Amino acid sequence: MTEVLLMDLIVKPDVIPHNVTHAFLASIILIVTALMVKGSLSLVPRGLQNFVEVIVEAIYKLVDENIGHHWGKTLFPFICTIFMFILLCNFMGLVPGFAAATSNVNTNAAMAVPVFLTTHFFGIRVHGVSYINHFLGPIRSIAALPLMILMFCVEVIGHIARPITLTVRLFGNMTGKHIILLVLGIIAPMFAPAVILCLGVLVSVVQAFVFALLTTLYLAGAVEHAH
Amino acid sequence: MKKTLGLILLTLTLMWIMAPLCFAEEAAAATGGKSSNILYYALAALGSGLGIGLAALGTGIGQGIGLGGACEGVARNPGASGKITTTLIIGLAMIESLAIYALVVVLILIFVNPFGKLLQ
Repeated sequence: MTEVLLMDLIVKPDVIPHNVTHAFLASIILIVTALMVKGSLSLVPRGLQNFVEVIVEAIYKLVDENIGHHWGKTLFPFICTIFMFILLCNFMGLVPGFAAATSNVNTNAAMAVPVFLTTHFFGIRVHGVSYINHFLGPIRSIAALPLMILMFCVEVIGHIARPITLTVRLFGNMTGKHIILLVLGIIAPMFAPAVILCLGVLVSVVQAFVFALLTTLYLAGAVEHAH
Repeated sequence: MKKTLGLILLTLTLMWIMAPLCFAEEAAAATGGKSSNILYYALAALGSGLGIGLAALGTGIGQGIGLGGACEGVARNPGASGKITTTLIIGLAMIESLAIYALVVVLILIFVNPFGKLLQ
């Protein structure tokens, strides 16, 4: 089910798949925007800097509230990059002639697996060996060893479910929207796809925000002091 | 009276669901050449319809309860409606993702045919 897109004029889709080329395009757009904003910074923002500052401030408020000041500054670029990249890829899927890079499982997994690895890396970096206390549940004493083992198994399953659910949630939303547009475009060509496109804009923004929010919450859970 | 009526309806429903399965197996055995692919797609269609329907049912109930709580919160405290709306949208997206998992399984069943390679 390979559709013909504008990118096929530049790169053949058999050689490099659509999600890779469109992910590259989104990255190039983000880097060019960042360089353009950095080149002419002013204290009172106007135009493009204003727009970028709105997004950056919103995500920084989210990160600051959940992770705190100390590690929030370190982890903020990661989370904000993920949010902007997913938002841009989702919006590219709405434009006819382009495809959403996030409607392919590989792009989403390429973002969810580093989130998983980052949580454990920062957990070990902050807590050291006592990071294992996060997995052992509320009561940590030799007398409660069966409870600790049970809690460890449950926490391992929950942790393995995280990158899977992050990937599948984003993939399902984007591919489902695409398939609904396809089916409704065959059945009722004029009006129904317009409604689904409006819903698609909402879903794109919400799913990008949910991915960033969940990343923030997982990182906050790994970095905070265990109770 | 109501129990017997419910029992009769249940029996009829099960009959109507199981009948196409028996006929499909007979038809597949009769044609013989098609390696019973039709049976897989028939069952996949049935399973997909039921799966998505049940997922939508659960999602509808869950999001309805969440929405009810949010409306009550805004009614009690209209000043906090911004925060409540944000929390509501995030909660709805999380509940929606459970239906999306069911959708992904259905897409795998219909388009990927996971047992096709195994049987060949």
